[in-house]
Formats: sequence, C-alpha cells, structure tokens
Amino acid sequence: MSEKNSVIMEVKNINLRFGGVIAIQDVSFNIFEGEIRAIIGPNGAGKSSMLNVINGFYHPQEGEVWFNGEKRPSMEPYQIAKTGIARTFQNIALFKGMTTIENVMTGRQLKMNKNFFWQMLRYGPAIDEEVQHRRRCEEIIDFLEINHIRKTPVGSLPYGLQKRVELARALAMDPKILLLDEPMAGMNVEEKQDMSRFIIDVNEEFGTTIALIEHDMAVVMDLADRVVVLDYGKLLADGTPAEVQSNQAVIDAYLGVPH
Amino acid sequence: MAENDSSLDTFPKVLARNVSKFGNSPAYREKEYGIWQTWSWSEANLEIMNLAKGLIKIGVKEGDHVAVIGRNRPYLYWSLVAAQHIGAVPVPLYQDAVADEMEYILTHCSATFAIVGDQEQVDKIHEIQDKIKGLKDIVYVDPKGLRGYEKSNLHFFNDVTNFGKDDNGDLQAELSKRMAKITGETTSVLLYTSGTTGRSKGVVQTHKAIIGASSGANEFDRWSPNDHIVCYLPMAWVGDFMISVGQVMVAGACLNCPEGADTVQMDVKEMGPTVFFGPPPLWERLKTEVNIRIEDASSFKKGAFHYFMNHAEKVGKKILEKASVGFLDRLIYSLGEFIIYGPLKNMLGLTKVRIAYTAGEAISAELFDFYRALGINLKQLYGQTEASVFLTMQDDNDVRSDTVGKPIRGVELKIAESGEVLYRSVGAFKEYYKNPKATQETKDKDGWVATGDAGYIEESSGQLRIIDRAKDVGKMKSGSMFAPKYVENKLKFFPNILEAVLFGSGKDKCVAFLNIDLSAVGNWAERHNINYASYQELASNEKVIEMMKQHVEEVNQDLAADTTMSGCQIHRFLILHKELDPDDGEITRTRKVRRSFVAEKYDELVTALYKGDNEVSTKTEVTYEDGKKGYLEATLALVDAQTYMLKEKSDAA
Repeated sequence: MSEKNSVIMEVKNINLRFGGVIAIQDVSFNIFEGEIRAIIGPNGAGKSSMLNVINGFYHPQEGEVWFNGEKRPSMEPYQIAKTGIARTFQNIALFKGMTTIENVMTGRQLKMNKNFFWQMLRYGPAIDEEVQHRRRCEEIIDFLEINHIRKTPVGSLPYGLQKRVELARALAMDPKILLLDEPMAGMNVEEKQDMSRFIIDVNEEFGTTIALIEHDMAVVMDLADRVVVLDYGKLLADGTPAEVQSNQAVIDAYLGVPH
Repeated sequence: MAENDSSLDTFPKVLARNVSKFGNSPAYREKEYGIWQTWSWSEANLEIMNLAKGLIKIGVKEGDHVAVIGRNRPYLYWSLVAAQHIGAVPVPLYQDAVADEMEYILTHCSATFAIVGDQEQVDKIHEIQDKIKGLKDIVYVDPKGLRGYEKSNLHFFNDVTNFGKDDNGDLQAELSKRMAKITGETTSVLLYTSGTTGRSKGVVQTHKAIIGASSGANEFDRWSPNDHIVCYLPMAWVGDFMISVGQVMVAGACLNCPEGADTVQMDVKEMGPTVFFGPPPLWERLKTEVNIRIEDASSFKKGAFHYFMNHAEKVGKKILEKASVGFLDRLIYSLGEFIIYGPLKNMLGLTKVRIAYTAGEAISAELFDFYRALGINLKQLYGQTEASVFLTMQDDNDVRSDTVGKPIRGVELKIAESGEVLYRSVGAFKEYYKNPKATQETKDKDGWVATGDAGYIEESSGQLRIIDRAKDVGKMKSGSMFAPKYVENKLKFFPNILEAVLFGSGKDKCVAFLNIDLSAVGNWAERHNINYASYQELASNEKVIEMMKQHVEEVNQDLAADTTMSGCQIHRFLILHKELDPDDGEITRTRKVRRSFVAEKYDELVTALYKGDNEVSTKTEVTYEDGKKGYLEATLALVDAQTYMLKEKSDAA
C-alpha cells in the first residue's frame, strides 16, 4: 500500500457485446500498483466480464487494455497469465482429485522451463527445478496456514478451505496483479474474516496488486483502497469507499429510485 | 556419571556440556515449509548465544522477568534458555490465555520483556499494555501481519539475534560476566500453577531444582542422546518445561517441534518419538478414534482386529513385561504384530516409542491395558509444579494403572498423620513468587512440601497410591478411610456411568448416587430393543438397574481386595432421575462434583438409602436451559449391592 501513484493497469473505453447483449459499455478505469481495487455492482452489472477482459478470456470489440505502461496486444489467457496476472474463480476451479500441494504446484507450471521430457522422467535438471518451486509453494502454504491439509485431496475439503487453496494456487504464480472473483461468496462470518485478513496480508507482505469483485459491502468498504461501481455494463462511480458510498447514483442503483 | 551430574548444576553448564559432548547430534528439529529443519547442539548453542547477546543489547537486565508466549517452536525454547544465560528469569505463559488472564500474570511478575510467537500475541499484549506498566519491549518470531505496526518497542527475533552476530566483543564480555554469576541457586524459571483453587500462584524454581529433578527422571528411565521427544503441550505447563527443556537438555536428546497445532498427529508419525507424554484424555481420544475406524471397516478386517486384540489382551502385557508366555501364544502375537499391532502403532505414530507417560488424572485400567497390550510401554508418574514434576515413577516391569510408582532418586516421601502425601526433593520449589504466606503453608522449615493429595504407600509393592484431594478425604465410623473420588473414579471408568457421588463420611457404610451415560446406555438399549423416551425412563429401566448393580458389585469386589479402601464398598445405591447439571449448580462447568451442595439438595434420598427403604418418591427443582424452573417428580428404586469380605483374591462373582 506504499506507492499508489503509479498506474499498473488501465482499461480504456471497453465495449464488450455478446450478440445483441451489451455486457460492458464504454468503461474506463485504472488500477494503481499495490492497491486493493474493488469492483462492485448489482447482479449482471458486468463485473465478472470485466475481470475476464483483464485476464484475456474475453476480447472486447472496442477498447484498450494498458498494462505496465504498454498497450497490450490481443493475447490468449495463458500468455497473459505469463505476464503476471493471476485469478481465482467465482465457482472454485481446482483439480478436485489432486492434493493441496499438487494444486498449488500447478500454479508454478508456467514458470517451469525444463522441457516435458525431463519433467516426465523426473530426472536431472527437472528435480532441481521442482525443489526450487516447491519451496516457494511451501512458503505460500505456510503463509495461508493450510499446512495441515497439504496432502489432502481438495475435493474433500470444506468450501472455505478450497477457496484458500485456490488463492494459494493463484499466488504461486507470483502475480503482479491478482484478480479475485467473489473470494468470499458462500462463506460464514468467521471464514470471511479469515479471508479478509489473508487478502490484506497478501497485499501488504507480497505487495501484490489486487482487484476483487465482492458483494459483501462491509467487506469491500473495509478492504478496498478504491472502488469501481458498474451497473448495466456502465461505469456508475469510481473513488474511495467513502466517496462511492455517498454517491447518489450508487445509492439509487442499490436501493432503487422512488418513482 | 553421578559425579559429572552434580557439577552440572546450571543450564549454561549443561548446554556447554552438550556442545562439547554431543556437538553434532541433533538437538532441535522443526518442520517448516514441509521439510524437517535440524539444529545440532553446536548450532543451537550459537543461536542461543546470539539471542542472549541480542537480549542484552535491547536492554534485558539481570533478574528481569521475560515472558515467553507462543506455540512450541525451537525459537521460543531458545528464548527460555537465552534468558537464563543472561541472568533473567523466563516466564512461559499459556498462548491461548485471553488478554485478561495474561494481564494478571504479567502484572504479578512485573515482566519487563516479552518474547512472543506471532501477531496474535502481540495484539493481546497491546490490548493490555496500558495496564502492565513495567513491560518495555516485545520480540516477535513470525513477522507475518506485523508490517504496518509501530515498531519503536517491537523487535523482530532475527534482528535481535543479529545484534548478537554483529557483536564486537562488548556484548560477549557482558554475557560472560553474567554467566559467571549464575549458580545452582539462581532462579531458572517462574512457572504459574493452573489455579483450579483461586488465583494461580507463581512457582519459583532454581537451576539446581530443575536439573536435579530432570536428571533423576532421566536416570530412572535411561534417557540417552538418541531419544526423540515431541513437544505439543503448552509451553507454560510445567510438564512441557520439564520434558522439553529440563530432560531434553540434561540428556542431550532431540526435541521435535510440529509444524502447527493442526498438524501434530501427522507430524508425530514422521517424527517417530521414542518418549511420548500424553494426558489421559489424549489416550482416550486415540483409542476412540481407532474403535470408530474399525467399526467402519470391512467385516474381514474387523474380525482380524478383534481376534488379535483379544489375543493381545491375553498375552501382550506379559510379553511387554518379559513374563513367561507359551510358544504358540508368542507366535500368534508376532503374527498380530505384523498384521494389526504394528500398523496400528504406526498410524498412531508410536512405533518407536520406548516409553509413554500418562499423568495428571486417574486413568482407567482398561484404557491403560489397551496400550500396554499393543506393546506400548505406557507408564504412570506422579508429580506437581512445586516439585519440578517428578516425584514417583514406575519401573518397566512394575507398571500398574492404579498406582503411580516409587519415589525417584532425590525424592523422600512421607505420609502425614492426616493422610496427606508430603515430600522432600531436589526439585522442590524455592517459594511462591510474592506470596510468603502460601509458601509457609505449603513448605515447612525442614523442607517437607505438602502435595494437597491424600495417598498411601502400598506395603506389598512400595508404590505410592493417590486416593483423593486431601480435603475431601474423611473417616468412616469404623475408623477406616473414606475417599470418595477414588471410588467414584472406579465407577466412572465404566463407559456406562457418567457421574457418581459417594456418601459415607462418618457413617458405618457407604451409599452412592449414579448417573448413567445416556449415549452409551442408549446405544446399548437400542441394540437390545429396549424402548425409552427420556433419560428418566431409561434410568429406571430394570435391566439398566441390573447392569448398574453389576458395575457397583465389580467395584466393591475390587475395593475388598484392598486393605485400606475396603471400608468404602457401596452398600446401597440409586440411579438419579436427572443428570447432574452445572445449570443446577450440582457440578462445576469443568464437571467436578460439588459434593456438599449435592448432599444438601438430595438429603431425603441419602436418608432413604440409609433407612433401608426399597423406593423413594421425590420432587426436584430443575433449571431448564433458558433459565426457567420446573419440577421433576420420580419414584426411585433403592438398590442393595453385594459387598465383599476382605480376603485374598476370591471368585465371589
């Protein structure tokens, strides 16, 4: 949260359409390096679509994505992941049959350089590489306090822990920007508190820039440095939590307008 | 060895000895990042010395009290030892204590520094910092989450150690000067009692006491530098201090720290401890876990398990105690070891265990024998904080569940007129911190310390038997001893009995109230097609009464074989129509019976039992969970139980 003046990511005039449906309409905002940026809005406002644009899963019809001061050419998601953008999903997308450590290790896959042959034999340089990456994964496991489930298949874990494993996998990529799609959906109060603490810790300790979508307003207002509000695919407001909270358009969108 | 021992009377000397004698053997291990990290005695010594110098640098003075709070980690154990090296007194605190409890101890001992595990502890101290005036600085081991904190009186553990590394000689000079002043009489630790009766008291222990008691215990069970110990019980508890600091250092053994509280059971498997300490509830829990898993196993596996466990019950203990056992039985036992016992012990992480200890509470013979039958050398010991724990221990071939062993080297026992156990030992405490009155009440001028427990030394075996808390023990009319808890424990060892209350002080015979265990008896009733709608209905069922009668008579038979306790046999009993409940004030929240309250409340029932009636009608006020009151009416059967004459083993049943 130290230096918040340099822009790490900027989206400019994004338009995204699926056939006749307009998902995002002329939305622009930026993300500062090291901040926690929240994207909020009612259901169907285009929040997840926005994340999908940022991580390259959707290609907007119009608009530009600027990352690290450069305009990003059209890329596939795995190429974008290599540039340092990691994400978690609204509906957990882990390999259910694999253990926690195996899942987290998949987050390092893009960083492994030894070829398929060595990895398959698990011999020679591939071993050194694995040891080095395993170390990083273990640090993350320790950080997120999931040591006790290191070797448990994730499918058998409770929901809150699965969410944490997913966060661990995303962190294993050592991302510059971490996109969290509803990291606290379906959690009870205690799990939410834990997750909030981990998000703050990640932001502070690793200096990771975080963009998150969240419905729980109390959580958003506590966590976020700045908030973008979307409604029907349009940008409704952009500012600090306090500014957004007192914005009449936002209040109307959330509480309804008297007719 | 003995001469050697007496010259080693301070922890600095012990550590120096370990470095010169076992320098390269493992001293501390901790699982971190999924890998076991090891420090040899030389490496650990370096860490401790650097830390000690660093602590001098941040201003820890001689005689200062240094609080140590956190889970079992090498860094915190080094902190205890480093504090001792610079003439300060370590005060380990319970890591899960709430801020208020910590406030009491930190204020009472006027701690000036605290070395803590992580952010959680820092936060707790910050919460109460205004009230604890003397506290200056906090050293933390794990920096996670502390990045944004105001750091003026916070030190990162590694930074403190680095002060020691970067020392230009000044700190070393100061350290040497301070170490030279430490003698066996110097205070080595301040340990707080658990405080079941009122506020907890600070027990002051010298270097000589801790080392004396540790080496006595080590000698008794032949500890060696090859032993591996796992620490997982709270560092503030005297038992952990004695084992993980006292015994480990004196023996030059290796201390293994698990990765975290949730991983202990998995880590124990990997550590393969050779000595393991667990309180009775832990042994109970492990056994229950095994039973539940077996219930879910296939019928073939279940069959094999029961067959071999039955066999183990028959001969396992004898084999463990090297008694003579027939060839065929031995053969079956080895087969069982291969198929059942071995894998089971492996699952529990007890494969390499040479000695397992249980202490703190009475343990049922059945539970005790279960582990011994498997070939695990589970033993009892008896002690208390004031004695640096070790008073009596059991010899490998003289292990029983109902006695606690013989006094170890350096311990003298005697039984006071009142029946209270007194001792004089090397490990006896110096004083209660800032509480001379309590010190005087507990320790007389000749050094005899009162344990508060009533007991006697069994003539046949010479082992100590603990009967009860001294203040509960009374006399029967005949003059024989009345020890309610002893008998109640025997009753409660039956899974079907939840609570028991014994009456009879000053009377000619004893009577008892029982509570059935609703889940255990309910389960039994289901399997035997006995219908019931409530606790009261089940408790008044004839078959249940018959079952209780058998249990009581078994206990009576047991008591009859025991000269001292035979007077406590239960002549008559009843099963209470309601469970004893903390809401009604009958038991405490920690499930200890409030004897006098129960006696008063159910006076008419006790009277009826003594009068010899066959049944009694009663009306009892009960408090429901929402605080409302109601009345419970019932007619209770008063049951006669067979009592037995005092004689050599008989088959009266």
